[in-house]
Amino acid sequence: MIFLAITANYATASAADRITASIDPPIIQANMGDKITYVGTITNNSDRAVTNIIAYISLANVTQGRESPMDLEDWSANKAIKVDTIPPHGTYKGQWPMRLIDSGSYVAYITVVDKNDNTPISSTMSRLEIKRVLRLNPNNVLPVAVGEPMIIGVILTFIVIRRRKRII
Amino acid sequence: MIISVENLAKKYDGYTALDGLNFTVEHGDIFGFLGPNGAGKTTTIRIMTAILKADSGNVLIDGHSIFGEPLAVKKIINAVPESNGYYEWMAACEYLEFFSHLYKEKISKQEVDKLLEIVGLHGKESHLIRSYSRGMRQRLGIARALINRPKLLFLDEPTNGLDPKGRRDIHDLLIDLNRDHDTTIFLSTHLFDDVERLCNRIAIINYGKIVRAGELDRMKGKGTIEDIFFLSTKEGTL
Amino acid sequence: MKIAYIMQKEIRESILTPKGFLWYAITSMILSVLSYLFLTNSELSLLDQGQMLYMIMNFITALGILIGLVFGADAFAGEIERGTLEALLLSPITKTEIATGKLGAALTNWGILFAISLPYLFVVGKGGQNLFVGIAYLALLGTFLAITFSAFSMGLSSRIKSVKNSLIISFFIFLLAGSPIFLSAAQRGTWFGRIIDFINPFAGAINTFDSVVIDSQGFGYQAGRVAIICGYTLLSLWFLKRSVSRLEM
Repeated sequence: MIFLAITANYATASAADRITASIDPPIIQANMGDKITYVGTITNNSDRAVTNIIAYISLANVTQGRESPMDLEDWSANKAIKVDTIPPHGTYKGQWPMRLIDSGSYVAYITVVDKNDNTPISSTMSRLEIKRVLRLNPNNVLPVAVGEPMIIGVILTFIVIRRRKRII
Repeated sequence: MIISVENLAKKYDGYTALDGLNFTVEHGDIFGFLGPNGAGKTTTIRIMTAILKADSGNVLIDGHSIFGEPLAVKKIINAVPESNGYYEWMAACEYLEFFSHLYKEKISKQEVDKLLEIVGLHGKESHLIRSYSRGMRQRLGIARALINRPKLLFLDEPTNGLDPKGRRDIHDLLIDLNRDHDTTIFLSTHLFDDVERLCNRIAIINYGKIVRAGELDRMKGKGTIEDIFFLSTKEGTL
Repeated sequence: MKIAYIMQKEIRESILTPKGFLWYAITSMILSVLSYLFLTNSELSLLDQGQMLYMIMNFITALGILIGLVFGADAFAGEIERGTLEALLLSPITKTEIATGKLGAALTNWGILFAISLPYLFVVGKGGQNLFVGIAYLALLGTFLAITFSAFSMGLSSRIKSVKNSLIISFFIFLLAGSPIFLSAAQRGTWFGRIIDFINPFAGAINTFDSVVIDSQGFGYQAGRVAIICGYTLLSLWFLKRSVSRLEM
């Protein structure tokens, strides 16, 4: 049992020491609809190359009252990256472009998974503040959206009345 | 001679509708064109009014060839077809105005009223055609056919479906047109009453051929028109 | 001038009617809903104004084609079934003149649709890219397509002489023309999808709108597609002329 405990501690310690991850930039403030790119840096601190590791980005909504994990379906096309190899003491920089779909407060972080280890490695969280921006001016759209069907409706009513007045 | 038909032939998908038709019509005639159903009456009228092409033969209308000068022919003839549909959403006066524009006749309101009066529709010019009875529609069709003051008027079964008074009114109208306006009338019918009352000359068609033709009085000398018809068409079913 | 009277009659019969104007009322309501969604829906509101403009242009073009096909299906077959064609043919007017008048009315339909779409295009595209050039291309290609599909449908109507059958075939043609919408991006990239894109005049139009409004490409880039669309227009006019010349009772 002592042997198992020592082995488990070694596995935990070795994953965290061998590979580290970080995310940049640490803070982003942007508008809805903007396109941003996160850069994740994965560092191999060991003397041996690491192979076939997977790195993916996660996003969580931390807006007061709306806390929830985010489905990145519409935000990002490539959420996960497979890295074939990182040489000893080498780094890999991955890019995660993203389109900011909804407003609110978010945190983003990179997680790295090595199948040879038991524990995934996570970066620190990057803070993301997205502001809501209206692209169309309601003062322009609503008068047309409401007014034009009304005008056509008036003409239609006029045609119906005129038809009914003709002698049958 | 206002109509000259020579060796007219027409086939539909192997079926012979007209098989070397020959006849003539003189100016001022009310010419009756009799035959059983499917004999070729409507086909003949459609060819003579240039809305159907013949396979062979020649038709002259007042000296103009139907095949060479169809537009010239259409300016001097008119017709009330058997399948006479109307733009039911139009009023009668609008209907006549529309067709007058196609003849380049700038028809005035007075002329429209006059036409409707001739056919007995005076006072109904603003009524939608939708509200017209069958008899009234026939009269309107005749009014349309008179827009260009045609020399030659074709009528395909004009009294079909009319009551006796309606038929009598149409008869009187046609007689007036022929007598007062010098309009030659080509009347396709299978109703003997129409023929007896209106026609001075007739031709009987059967299986796409003229089987009998001539002046009605002379032909009747040997029996009734009914007898002549059934003898000429052998099976003679209507 | 006879053509003008035929056109006037057709407009009064098909357009200036409660049923005719209902099409326009429905179109306007759909465009209103679409522009409102652009404003309020969180995902749609992210679209570039160019993309919003592009979507409305595609919708109006598709509707113009559909209405042209329906109008054309009734043009001659409807008159035959209602018994009104014979009186027209008896008049000293050529069949080509009748067809031209009816085509004029079909184009009037398109003109009204285009006019209805203009305010929506302006409010959605104002301040964005390529608004005026987009409207110009919509006017040009929309008109060519309206002529193409109306003329083809009218030619079919004069040959088939049945409104029901003409409508069925016209609807099938509409589905074929609209097939780019039903194919996914991946399918459109296959050899089959590329052939459809190349030969389909509607696909040519929407690709042109994309290229002009979203990618800001010039006329030189569109010339090939515009030429193909023009070719279809001439072909359909030839088909109409040939079909009506053979029209008989």
